[in-house]
Amino acid sequence: MGGFDGSPAGPKAGGGELRLSRRNAIAGAAAGVGVAMAGSGSAAAGLQGQLTYAVHISLAPTWFDPAETSGLVTPYMLLYAMHDAVAKPMPGSQLAPALAESWSVSPDGRVYDFTLREGVKFHNGEPVTADDVKFSFERYRGSSAAVFKSRVASIEIPDPRHVRTTLKQPWPDFLMFYASTTGAGWIVPRKYAEKVGEDGFKKAPVGAGPYKFVSFNPGVELVLEAFDQYWRKPPQVKRLVLKVIPDESTRLAALKRGEVDIAYSLRGELAEEVVRTEGLTLKPVVIDSPFWLYFPDQWNVKSPWHDVRVRQAAALALDMKAINDALTLGYSRLTNSMFPDSFDFYWQPPPMVYDPDKAKKLLAEAGHPNGFDAGEYFCDISYANLGETVVDNLQAVGIRARLRPSERAAFIQGISDKIYKDIVQIGSGAFGNVATRFQSWIVKGGPYVYGSYPQIDELYAAQAAELDRGRRTEILHKMQKLVHELAVVAPLWQLAFINGQGARVGESSFGKIAGFPYTAPYEDQTLKST
Amino acid sequence: MRRFVTKRLGYAVLSLFLLSLTIFLLVRVTGDPAALMAEPGASAEQLAAIRKNLGLDQPLWIQYGSFMANFLTGDLGHSFYYNAPVLDLYAARLPYSLLLAAVAMAFSLLIGIPSGILAAVRVGTMWDGAGKVFALLGLSMPSFWIGLVMILFFSVYLGWLPSSGAGTPLHVIMPAFALGWYFAAAHMRLTRSSMLDVLGSEYVKLARLKGLPESLVVAKHAFKNALIPVITLAGINLVIMINVAVVVETVFAWPGIGRLLYEGISFRDFPLVQGIVLLGGSMIVVVNLLVDILYAVVDPRIRLEA
Repeated sequence: MGGFDGSPAGPKAGGGELRLSRRNAIAGAAAGVGVAMAGSGSAAAGLQGQLTYAVHISLAPTWFDPAETSGLVTPYMLLYAMHDAVAKPMPGSQLAPALAESWSVSPDGRVYDFTLREGVKFHNGEPVTADDVKFSFERYRGSSAAVFKSRVASIEIPDPRHVRTTLKQPWPDFLMFYASTTGAGWIVPRKYAEKVGEDGFKKAPVGAGPYKFVSFNPGVELVLEAFDQYWRKPPQVKRLVLKVIPDESTRLAALKRGEVDIAYSLRGELAEEVVRTEGLTLKPVVIDSPFWLYFPDQWNVKSPWHDVRVRQAAALALDMKAINDALTLGYSRLTNSMFPDSFDFYWQPPPMVYDPDKAKKLLAEAGHPNGFDAGEYFCDISYANLGETVVDNLQAVGIRARLRPSERAAFIQGISDKIYKDIVQIGSGAFGNVATRFQSWIVKGGPYVYGSYPQIDELYAAQAAELDRGRRTEILHKMQKLVHELAVVAPLWQLAFINGQGARVGESSFGKIAGFPYTAPYEDQTLKST
Repeated sequence: MRRFVTKRLGYAVLSLFLLSLTIFLLVRVTGDPAALMAEPGASAEQLAAIRKNLGLDQPLWIQYGSFMANFLTGDLGHSFYYNAPVLDLYAARLPYSLLLAAVAMAFSLLIGIPSGILAAVRVGTMWDGAGKVFALLGLSMPSFWIGLVMILFFSVYLGWLPSSGAGTPLHVIMPAFALGWYFAAAHMRLTRSSMLDVLGSEYVKLARLKGLPESLVVAKHAFKNALIPVITLAGINLVIMINVAVVVETVFAWPGIGRLLYEGISFRDFPLVQGIVLLGGSMIVVVNLLVDILYAVVDPRIRLEA
């Protein structure tokens, strides 16, 4: 089984595989001070041919494998580069044909017939066939694997270009789950995956995407090379290097110096600096990640939050325009909804209103003329800056809360375990549609749901069985209106993920896929000619 | 001597055992790594499956026993996040940490020792005062702040040095300075106090009475003896620099062990954190043991007292 080359001089590129023996690694370490001074493996020839990224998060090998991809958006940064799917979100469409050139659905909504595109190859030259599609589906082991297993009756291969998936019952969201919410529809070569095994695949992934894997130095950088036989079009940039630079200020410095061409995640004052710097371009992308305040105690009759007027007062107290201007330079979107506006079945609520006087009046009517002690305000520490400003706004109308930021994993755990009370600041970037968001956050039985409203639960059950799209849309709109009227949550914003782009970049592909924070499609990227 | 060495070895083994137990338990207090590895909304069964896959469903004593048994055979476990042997990850990053530590140590000694000597020889003067200010700044200014200011000045404004990463000699300059600054202050203080001790000793007084030039007294008679504790400290600091330069390596995106440790903590990668801490701790224990033995060899009083 291959491994990766831990040699500090840079990985050996033998057919895209990295090889390691422990002896070599330790020998390299013992001798290696001088080796560390040598140029890295990614010092590419010819700047024209290379686009360098400063990535804000350490890249995990599990992201190279669609079988382990979840509903989180971050792995898709790499999936869009190295792999391809039966269908996937693309510019202008939330579900565009990709490896499948077309599909049809039976009238009863149970049978999906996919026709694969002809002549498509994996990076190792093997053709993409229906067998690979079936294998990739069966191989998928993300958290939705159980859902697929319980709902998919069979997958048949009538011929190498056709796949027939039969469901046990109609499932209107099947394609959305298959193609965008999970990695089950992202296709890998069966023969190669079986030959190298699961670990081997993560060390040297092969896909059908626009870029092929060259090397990976864990925590340091990932190098990809253009796959000129990509079916959609050959990429115009020869090489991509994704360097991990955890510190935001350092990412900006690298961008300003031209050491990188694209820097992800630059916020606040650093984003302002990009605007001020000649040659750099700010690239904000409004992502499918709304933030909202959740009131876990609204089902407790003894809690002030039980009164809808108190929840409405909290919403009216928030000067989100000023907060947006200060923290995200005005680029976040104030939709007044907890659902991403690009999502299927989205209903646009009335605009946000900032009215602290009315908020105080509502509090007084609810029996709190001097405000009340609202306990603690829980949030993910990454967004504590938002929490601080919101707590200030709430304080101004008398809703007195104490900020309690937590490290991300602990915060997610806290929400899952339902240990938080009072006020919780939540942001969700999971793929899906309005119905899947309801399922997670609002309706009874959802993983993060503290309590629910029976009228909303009933409507959810009705839409889940509704095959007529028009009727389903009506129901889901009605549900969203109820969320708004009942003030189940107080929406904050739909976050703008702010990035920087350097002078060499022609087309970065930022913002081409609605709601996607990273650059894609990669094959559309260009560099400016000198 | 044998008895002395055996005793010291025993303490070393005990220290390592306590360290392994401490880090094993402490890292588990940080929370459940399965929660980070699963997508939001994962069911209890899914989380349980992840824990089982990672071996976290076993009783703690079995997990610890397995970890230590593997450690003794050179296997530090498999990183949850990187899906690679911890030892391989460590070995891949070690050369970078060695390089950074070596340059930072060189800087800290080149600045710290001469300034400490000067402060001691010119005690009570402005040189001594300047040394104290240097020490205060070095010990109190946070390395991440120094790093960011250096990046701003030398990379962005002047364009002299690369802002981050590794690969050329220029890349190591700023992180080495940011890392070595604190240790330069520490070495300066120790050198100063050690020199003052030595300069007040009887044999130095005799050397002066004999009419030797002050420069010779300082350089030949005082300096070498004053250097002994500084070298001891430098040895231990070198190991610390190699293993825990977390902040500097993160600010400069330097691909060293400190950053690997930071990533392990962020992702609750238990084997990675355990392995790095244990390897670093082992280095410190070994260095201390060697120093103790060396002292006993050089100074018989030490081994007789033991």
